[in-house]
Amino acid sequence: MSLLEVTDLVQSFDLTRGFLAKLRFRGGRLVREERVVHAVNGVSFRVERGKVLSLVGESGCGKSTTAKTIIRLIDPKSGRIFYDGIDITRFSPLEMRPFRKKMQMIFQDPFASLNPRQKVVDILQEPMIFHKLATPTEVREKALSLLNRVGLRTEQADRYPHQFSGGQRQRIGIARALAVEPEFIVADEPVSALDVSIQAQILNLLMDLKDEFRFSCLFIAHDLSVVKHISDDVGVMYLGKIVEKGSKKDVFAHPAHPYTKALFASVPSISAGKMMSSKGIEGEIPSAIDLPNGCVFHDRCPSRKPVCHEEPPVEREVEVGHFVACHNV
Amino acid sequence: MLLEVRNLKTFFHTFRGTVRAVDDVSFTIAKGEILGIVGESGCGKSVTGFSIMGLIEEPGKVAGGEILFDGRRLLDLSDNQMNEIRGKEISMIFQDPMTSLNPVYTIGEQIEEMLTLHSSLSPRERRKRCVELLRSVGIPNPEGRLNDYPHHFSGGMRQRVIIAIALAAEPKLIVADEPTTALDVTIQAQILKLMKALVRERNCSMMLITHDLAVVSEMADRIIVMYCGQIVEEGRARDVIENPSHPYTQGLIGSIPKLNEDKSRLETIHGIVPNMFELPEGCNFSPRCRFCREICFGVKPDFRLANTEGHLIRCHSACGVSEGGNEV
Repeated sequence: MSLLEVTDLVQSFDLTRGFLAKLRFRGGRLVREERVVHAVNGVSFRVERGKVLSLVGESGCGKSTTAKTIIRLIDPKSGRIFYDGIDITRFSPLEMRPFRKKMQMIFQDPFASLNPRQKVVDILQEPMIFHKLATPTEVREKALSLLNRVGLRTEQADRYPHQFSGGQRQRIGIARALAVEPEFIVADEPVSALDVSIQAQILNLLMDLKDEFRFSCLFIAHDLSVVKHISDDVGVMYLGKIVEKGSKKDVFAHPAHPYTKALFASVPSISAGKMMSSKGIEGEIPSAIDLPNGCVFHDRCPSRKPVCHEEPPVEREVEVGHFVACHNV
Repeated sequence: MLLEVRNLKTFFHTFRGTVRAVDDVSFTIAKGEILGIVGESGCGKSVTGFSIMGLIEEPGKVAGGEILFDGRRLLDLSDNQMNEIRGKEISMIFQDPMTSLNPVYTIGEQIEEMLTLHSSLSPRERRKRCVELLRSVGIPNPEGRLNDYPHHFSGGMRQRVIIAIALAAEPKLIVADEPTTALDVTIQAQILKLMKALVRERNCSMMLITHDLAVVSEMADRIIVMYCGQIVEEGRARDVIENPSHPYTQGLIGSIPKLNEDKSRLETIHGIVPNMFELPEGCNFSPRCRFCREICFGVKPDFRLANTEGHLIRCHSACGVSEGGNEV
């Protein structure tokens, strides 16, 4: 059984809360109009035990919203979330509490995700004390050993977050997530705010810790080369839908969806230099308020057919475990 | 040479001490050349760009050196004389397309401002030229969009508008400071292709400042790698990328996960960038260097030739490997 299974997850945000906000003048008449951002539109995937699934896509594709929804920071509009076989979709905060110990999150911005008024050691102790994982006598020692494990010196334990660099703060964020020894970690762009040499250090650290602590991971990223490096399985998102998913090997070796292909062609690379000569894709990601009819990618797609304007494509299995949602496949 | 920078020093004087943000930097840009400047945050690459534009503000100060642009010494010019050059002969593209356009003017007005200041066109000709410029940067329906405000445009489209403004007065040199860092990868590819095509077509020169080695390797003719305010390696793009000779450049390239390679671990540069207030006495990179020897801690290294002509590194042990360097 998969550790996490998500089926048909839908998340949307109503921009016009309240009746008055919905009223709008159109051609001299007052009309009622709703503006809803459709962030996630029917996403299904599984995270297997001990594996890393990466969701990759450009800004606004709904990858971070998906992450926040499955750990129930935001309530889903519809769809189901199973954790270890248990349906947690409608759990109350109190019912979620034991799961908070099992699911942890690493955030993108190491400058915003640590409390500036807490010492590092307190940041690490708090979750352990809250979840009763350590007695007050041993908690400090545990926190210090954790700090050591992520590559910080124990004498730095009584400092405040502002005394650390971005990479060091991200190490603290990772240590905090590991403090409760979770089974499942959601990492939302954990390295995108870091310089490349620091990014490499953090990626190596994450991979070592994964082997040591044996957690499963949902990794959210926009950088394909980082995803290639860290994941076992990959899902490519576009406008709130997963357009292609499968094992990393399959998706990277034979990408089938035109968006995935374009994404690969757009990545600048130091060795090959193919980006300049590749075709890439024209246009930009449409607004998530008025979703296009049919396939969400059709207006940018180089190989669109009439049917793409009309019907949303169904997911098809092109090889074992490799799914693509495209009419052309 | 279109631009020649000699021993440029830009220091910031603060209460905590002096930050030598740019320390003895020399380079040249030829006509029609794209020069890439790479380095991590805080290495002085942007300050170098700002120094050339004369945009250094208190507490910063250009403390020494010379900047020769088309035969003129930029550092000796008055503010008024600099205003003649900024925008007309050297223009700049900034990183954040969301903040570098003025939100209360239409984009037509903002492009036209450049033409009013730096050309003798009549209002009608200016209008026509604005449309041409917008078309050349790939904005659909340019006539219709002249009266739109910046918030009507997406990030990628705004960056196109900014490029149109930068090109309006037909500058000889464009300084682009992280022009695509805020953009998504498919949009980045569009903008980079557009910039390269426009630069080549108009035969102007470009100084491309970025943290992304992959971007410069796709764009630049020559590359300069900076670390802690100094140039550590310089050479033709292919030479630097295929044959990185300074240990820092080697580390940077090793740190990038590659799409076409399978490796379980990335090479890393251990440690972090030193505090700019307390730079090491010898080579700035010595505390993080794998090949560091005794001399590196005491003496600042000079430039020396790496393998090929025009490929220079600032390191005591050429290529790090020979001369009995110890791996630490």
